[in-house]
Amino acid sequence: MRRSPSRSALVPVLLAAVAATGPLLRGQDVLLGAQRIVIADGTELDDGRVLLRQGKVAYVGAEIPAEARTRARRVDYGAATVVPGFVLATATLGQDQDLAERALPFTPDLRAAEAFDPWHEDLLALPQYGITAVGLSPASANVAGGLAALVKPGRERGALGPDLFVALSLIAPARTAERPPSSLMGVVDLLRSAFEAVRTGLATGPDAAVLREAMQTTRPVFVHADTFAELNAALDLARDFGLRLVLVGATEARKVLPRLVQQQAGLVLGSLSPEARLEQLTLPVALAEAGVAFGFGGSPARMRLSAALAVHHGLDRRTALQALTRGPADLLEQAAAIGSLRQGSAADFVVFRGDPLDLGSALVATWIDGELVHGEAPTTRGEAEPTAAAGVR
Amino acid sequence: MRIPHRSCVVTLCTALAFGAALAAQTTTAYTGARILAGGTPAIENGVLVVAGGKILAIGGASVAVPEGATTVACNGRTITPGLIDAAFGGGTAAGDRNEEGDEVTPHLRVLDSLDPDHRSFARAREAGVTTVHVMPGTRSVIGGLGCIVKTFGSDPATMVLNDAASLRIVMGADPSMGNRAIRGGRVDSVYYRRPTTRMGVVWEVRRAFYDAKQALELSLGAEAPPPNPGREVLARVLRGELTAYTTARSEQDIRTALRIAAEFGYRTVIEEAQDAYLVADELAAAKVTVLLGAPSATRLEGPGSADGADPRYVTARLLADRGIPFVITTGSSSNALDLVREAMFAARNGVPTTTALDAVTIGPARLLGIDARTGSLAVGKDADFVVWSHDPLDPAAVAESVHIDGNPVPARR
Repeated sequence: MRRSPSRSALVPVLLAAVAATGPLLRGQDVLLGAQRIVIADGTELDDGRVLLRQGKVAYVGAEIPAEARTRARRVDYGAATVVPGFVLATATLGQDQDLAERALPFTPDLRAAEAFDPWHEDLLALPQYGITAVGLSPASANVAGGLAALVKPGRERGALGPDLFVALSLIAPARTAERPPSSLMGVVDLLRSAFEAVRTGLATGPDAAVLREAMQTTRPVFVHADTFAELNAALDLARDFGLRLVLVGATEARKVLPRLVQQQAGLVLGSLSPEARLEQLTLPVALAEAGVAFGFGGSPARMRLSAALAVHHGLDRRTALQALTRGPADLLEQAAAIGSLRQGSAADFVVFRGDPLDLGSALVATWIDGELVHGEAPTTRGEAEPTAAAGVR
Repeated sequence: MRIPHRSCVVTLCTALAFGAALAAQTTTAYTGARILAGGTPAIENGVLVVAGGKILAIGGASVAVPEGATTVACNGRTITPGLIDAAFGGGTAAGDRNEEGDEVTPHLRVLDSLDPDHRSFARAREAGVTTVHVMPGTRSVIGGLGCIVKTFGSDPATMVLNDAASLRIVMGADPSMGNRAIRGGRVDSVYYRRPTTRMGVVWEVRRAFYDAKQALELSLGAEAPPPNPGREVLARVLRGELTAYTTARSEQDIRTALRIAAEFGYRTVIEEAQDAYLVADELAAAKVTVLLGAPSATRLEGPGSADGADPRYVTARLLADRGIPFVITTGSSSNALDLVREAMFAARNGVPTTTALDAVTIGPARLLGIDARTGSLAVGKDADFVVWSHDPLDPAAVAESVHIDGNPVPARR
C-alpha cells in the first residue's frame, strides 16, 4: 500500500519512455473516442469510446474496464463520425495482367494470393477512399479465374489474409476469340461439364477440389454476370449444383429479381455515377426492398460515391452504410473479422467530419488493424500525452 | 382530399395488376372474325373461345359463348394461328451463337446463350410470330443443339418448348470463312484452325459421325468408350432420335448434305436451300423437308453470301408442284421480310395461299414436333393466335394483336 503511490508515479515515466521508442507503443491499448461511432448496423454510440488492443476491438462503450480505460492511450476525434472501414468485396487493384491466366479459360485453383503485390500503389491508395479490406480476385477475363484472397492496405505495404471465394466469369471478356470458349453457350457448357465431372467423381485434382468445395457451399462462388442471359446462366448453375452464389456487376439484376430472392443470391454492384441511367441508380433501393443482400463494388475511388448516389435515389442511409461495410464482409464470409467494430473485429475504421454518405463530409483518417494509415491523428490526451502524437502510427 | 384521391389510384393500380394476373384464368371470346384455323376450311364469322391459356372452343357463329366470358368483336378481321419461324436468326447477342473455339461442338445448347429480352423477339412478336426455332450460328461445322421457344417470356425457362430440338450442321463457306493456316502474325487466334476449304468442312462432318458410329458400335461390346457429350448427341442423330438441320444453300452443298446423310443413315432437313430448284429430283427422292430461307431473297447478304447460291422466286412454287414438303423461314438473310410477308411472297409467285400459310404455321409445327401444342387453332391447344387487320397474305395486313398462351403480348407500336 505504501509503495503503490511511487509505483503509479513511475508509470507515466515508463510509458513516456516506451512511447519515445516508437514501435513498442504498438502494444499499448488505444481508447478511441468520437461524437458518433457506428459499431455495426443498428448499433451506434453517442460520444462513444472503443478500446482497441493488438489491432482488434477489445471493448465497446460501457464494457470497457475502468482500469484499461485509464491506461490506454487516448485518441479522441471529437465531433467526428467513426464508421467501420469499407470492404470492397472484389477488385483486381490494377493487377489485371497478373490476375488472369490468358492461355487457359479454366483455372479455378489458381490463387490471387500468389499475385499479390503488397507495395502496389493501387493497394496503398485504398485508405484515402476509406477502404480497409479487399477481396483481391482473379480477373474476369477467365471463365474460372481462381481463388480470391483477402488483402489489406497499410501505410507502407499491404498485408495478405486468407483465401476467399472462387471467381467465375460469364461476361464478354471471358468469351474471347483468343482461346475457346468464345460464346456464352460455350462458357456455360465448360462450367456445367466441369461441375458435372466433379459430381460424378470423374474429375480429380486441385481444380476439382475447389469446385467440390463450391458444391459443398464451404466456398462461396462469385460470378461476373451482367446481362439477362448471363444472370440466368449463373442462377441456373447455382441451382443445379447447389452453389452459394454472389453475382458481380449484375447490371440487369432487376430482370431476375424474383430469382435472386428465391435462390438467396448476393450481389456486388458495379460503380454508380451521376450520369448513369435511372434504372441503374435505383437498383440498390430495389434490391434492398426485395431483401437481396448486396454490397457496393466497382472502382475503389467511387465506392462512397456509389453509396451516396444510391441514398440520393431512395436507399436509406443505414442500408447504404451496411452495403459498404458489413454487407460485403458477409458476402466474403468474413463478417467475424471485418466490416464492423464489434468485439473481436479488426480495428479497421474510417473517421469522417460529418456523415460518410454526404459527399461534402471530409475523410479525416483511416485506421487499419489499430494503426493510423491515412489522414491525421487527433490531439491525444492521456498519460503519454507529450509523445503519443509522434507515436500514433 | 389528396389522401382519398391517392388511395383511389392505388386501388385502381392494384385492380389492374390483379386483372392482368387473372387474364389467363378468365374466359375470352373473339367473335365475328374470319378464322383460318389451319388444316380446315376458313370459318366465316367464327368464334374463338380462350381460357386458361388454351383454346376452349372454336367454330362458326353457332359456337356458344360461355356465360361470363369477355367478348372481343373482331368483325372484318382475320384470325390465324401464331406464326412459327423454323429458322429464326435472332434471340441471342451476335457473338454468342457461335462457339469458335472448336468446329465440332454437337452438345452446345444455344438455349444457354438465349436472351429473352433480345429486340429480335419484340420484332418477331409484332410480325405475328409466336414460336421460333433458334439454332446455333453458322460459323461452326456442327454448331450444336437448337431450341424451340415462344417469343415472349420473363425467363428462358418459361419460354422453352424444347431445349434440344435439332442438331445444326453447316455446309458451304461459312465454317471455313476467315480460317487460315499459321503464317506468322498472332498465333493465339481461333481462326488458325481447320477447315479452310469446302472439302475440309465435309471432312469434319464425316469424321465426327464416323467417330460417333465407332463409339456406338464399341458401346455394344464389352469395352465401352469413355463418355463424350458431343458424341452422344451425334449418336442420337444416328439412332434417329434427333433431326439434323443441315444448312446447304448452293446446289453442290445440297447434294453433299443429302449424300452425307445417306452415307450415315441419319434424318436431315435441308436448311436455307436457296438452290433447291436445281436439285428437286434428289430432294424428292430423299424425302427430306426443305426450309426455304427468305423466299423473297434474290441474293444472300451476310454469312451466306459466299456460297454462290442463285436464289429464284420460282423455288417455292416448284417445290409445291413437286409435292416436296417445305417450310418458309426468315433464315440468316439480313434482308428477309417479316415471316408473313415471306409467305405472301411465295403466294405471289404461285404457291396456293393455304399452302403458303401452312408453311409458316402447321408445317413448321409438325416439322419441329410441336403440333400437339401449337401451329393450328384447335380445342385444347395453346392459345397462340394473331388478329390480322386483313387477310394475312394481303400486303396491307398488320398484326393488330398477338396472343401467346392466351395473353396479348406487348407491342412497341
